[in-house]
Amino acid sequence: MRRVAALLSLVLLLGAVPAFADSVAETRSRLAALKPADYPTQPIEFVVVYPAGGGMDTTARLLAKYVEKYADHRVIVVNKTGGAGFIGHTYLATQAKNDGYTVGILANGAWTDAILKAKGKWSHTNFEAVSFVNYAPVTWIASTEGRFKNRSLKDVAATIKAEPGTVKVAIVPSISFEFLAEQVETAAGGTLVKVPFQGGAPGVTALLGGHVDIATGFLSEYRGHLEAGKVKVLAAAAERRTPDMPQVSTFNEVLGVKNMVWSAWRFAAVPRGVPADRKKYLEAALTAALRDPELQAEYRKTGSIVESPYASGAQVDAAIDKFAVLEREFFTTTGRLPK
Amino acid sequence: MDVLGQLAAGFGVILTPANLYYCFLGSLVGTLVGVLPGIGPLAALSLLLPFTFTLPPVASLVMLAAIFYGAMYGGSTTSILVNIPGEAASVVTCLDGHEMAKQGRAGAALGIAAIGSFIAGTLSNIGLTLFSPVLVAVALRFGPPEYFAIMILGFVMTLYMVAGSALKAMVMLALGVFLSTVGMDIVNGAERFTFGSVNLAGGFDLVPVVMGLFGVSEILLNVEQFARGEVFSRRIRRLLPTFRDWLDSWAPILRGSFLGFGLGVLPGGGPVTASFLSYAVERRLSRRPERFGHGAIEGVAGPESANNAAVAGSMIPLLSLGLPSNAVTALLLGALIIQGVQPGPMLMVQRPEIFWGVIASLYVGNVMLLILNLPLIGLWVQLLRVPYRILFPCVLLLTVIGTYSVNHNVFDVWVMIGFGLAGYVVRKLGYELAPLVLAMVLGPLLEQALRQSLIMSSGNPAIFMTRPIAATIVLLAAALAAVLVLRGKRLALAAQPTVEGSS
Repeated sequence: MRRVAALLSLVLLLGAVPAFADSVAETRSRLAALKPADYPTQPIEFVVVYPAGGGMDTTARLLAKYVEKYADHRVIVVNKTGGAGFIGHTYLATQAKNDGYTVGILANGAWTDAILKAKGKWSHTNFEAVSFVNYAPVTWIASTEGRFKNRSLKDVAATIKAEPGTVKVAIVPSISFEFLAEQVETAAGGTLVKVPFQGGAPGVTALLGGHVDIATGFLSEYRGHLEAGKVKVLAAAAERRTPDMPQVSTFNEVLGVKNMVWSAWRFAAVPRGVPADRKKYLEAALTAALRDPELQAEYRKTGSIVESPYASGAQVDAAIDKFAVLEREFFTTTGRLPK
Repeated sequence: MDVLGQLAAGFGVILTPANLYYCFLGSLVGTLVGVLPGIGPLAALSLLLPFTFTLPPVASLVMLAAIFYGAMYGGSTTSILVNIPGEAASVVTCLDGHEMAKQGRAGAALGIAAIGSFIAGTLSNIGLTLFSPVLVAVALRFGPPEYFAIMILGFVMTLYMVAGSALKAMVMLALGVFLSTVGMDIVNGAERFTFGSVNLAGGFDLVPVVMGLFGVSEILLNVEQFARGEVFSRRIRRLLPTFRDWLDSWAPILRGSFLGFGLGVLPGGGPVTASFLSYAVERRLSRRPERFGHGAIEGVAGPESANNAAVAGSMIPLLSLGLPSNAVTALLLGALIIQGVQPGPMLMVQRPEIFWGVIASLYVGNVMLLILNLPLIGLWVQLLRVPYRILFPCVLLLTVIGTYSVNHNVFDVWVMIGFGLAGYVVRKLGYELAPLVLAMVLGPLLEQALRQSLIMSSGNPAIFMTRPIAATIVLLAAALAAVLVLRGKRLALAAQPTVEGSS
């Protein structure tokens, strides 16, 4: 009997049990009204260009779960991985159909790849944003037993200047983690030993083992160690202090600069040219999910900031254009791109 | 800390009908994905992850973990029966397991694999239960220089693994390391040997390579034999290991358990490395190493125990630190986060029911898998009765599906076919494929550890000798290499007169 019940519940999983709260029902009917007659007739695919289980994948799977709460069709997450995201980005920009069934759940890498790697074959304008999803600032953390246990970022900067080439920081090459470290070197007037890792979490492990002095990462990658008092946050690469960590200062305020803003900035986008009614429906479906307090709570738990400053996909596109200009500038000044 | 009391509480969590059901479901699915070539635990977990969303955290993690170790049980099946590894950790099982099958001892090989897996799984669960906190501290002391030392040791041990020419094995190792450099440079992101192809930017994925080298090439070789009418006799002698088999196997099972457990705890380690190393160790320690590659049961018992023990080992950094040591545990970590559970050192304190529930489920799951797998042996060996003209097209189809399912990229299927043809040619020339696969697994880790270490020391190689753990391992590797060279010289000297006399 029990087995039958469990089997039944597994079958029900496929159909995502709806919660019959009043506001949920309202949102559902509003969304249903926006639904084009011929779409969607098959599941919508959320394409994630990074491996299953990572931060980006978690974000997309949670989003899919909550879109299904409001929509009456399936949303499937597909991981199109390889080349540190470049394969998936290129697929979305140049091969994926613009029929509204393929939605990329993307982050900064989408435009960074366009600038640094696409070699003019595609650019970030090959995507059209559907919605902002959430964002998390890049942070620096130190061990509470290590070299910088009772020190602030200011002290770290002073050490970098006084003893150049002695401070070991864990980075991930060719992404914001490395760019931030370079900016700190410039601002502090010294050099760091930048030890490359394949992701934030291995760097945190190395920090806990005392193999590096500082690790770069997102809150989700070290929250457990922060709560256990093993690590502390030195600074966040955000424009302003974040509501999650109000006591943590920003790199900009400590080092007196303006350009140290790096984050995992996540958004949903479709290949250019999706019919207007389908895009509008997608926008509404994603907005409904992203306004759900339960999803917001889930995202906050992973250390992401959910409040969206953008009212429409077009505004998200404009923001991305701005980021891309700033980033291109950074790449030309650091010699990564020819002037 | 009262470990037994907490474990008892863990059993209280797991011994509910619902949780037992999910544990069983995971074991069953795991066995199946292990058996199906190409579809490994990683692909299965990423496909099934969404279905666990609405389960409670304990049930979800119990089921996903069961798939992981269930795959280790199932993975040996096709290795033994048709010489095609069900997943990467069962590659070495092909070497002797399939030879045993050819001799009509498929049942004994499958039996020892299942029972060895069970013993190793249970032993390393005990290790996990008792030593988690201590082992976490040790694992953290392994930084880049220590990993580099382990990788070097791994390469040296591989030379002990091969049955044929050491020179040919070194050629395969070098080729493997070379192939592992294809793709993006890990330090500065420069593309190497990609010829501008987007698909090569990420390097060769292990699944299509293994499926091609072993699966496709095996089918080609068999088709050739089939065409010549040289099909091996498919008599099946007995289904269970003999007393003699047990005598040969108990020590490899124990050694495999310890080795696998230790390697599982270390970040970057895992079932694949563990199974390779266990094989090398058994061959080295055997009094009759010449039997290896010709159906030595130790060559099945050791690696199959090691890969299972590594699963339990890798649960330690995952559950006590929230640190994944390989891709599969990274996915389990993602599953926890989706469930709203924050993995990390506080998990044991804040959510003991998850921590101890999952550990208790490992004991239960291993028992279930043993009960599930032993009766299946009779069924699996019947597979050998299926005519090749039906069996092999089916297996080929499954390898194509499995390869495609990992990245959803058709290019991977071409890679599989290409490596299949290359594997066929290379095997005809008398080279072994296992060293090639091992080098492709260890190559990127070796390169990363080496470059990280040298960056940390500003280019000074002394870093490998000034850190005690790294230095010990490097010296051990050097000693083993020296023994090999000396033995080779002695063998060459001893062989000379015979060569003159005999010919």
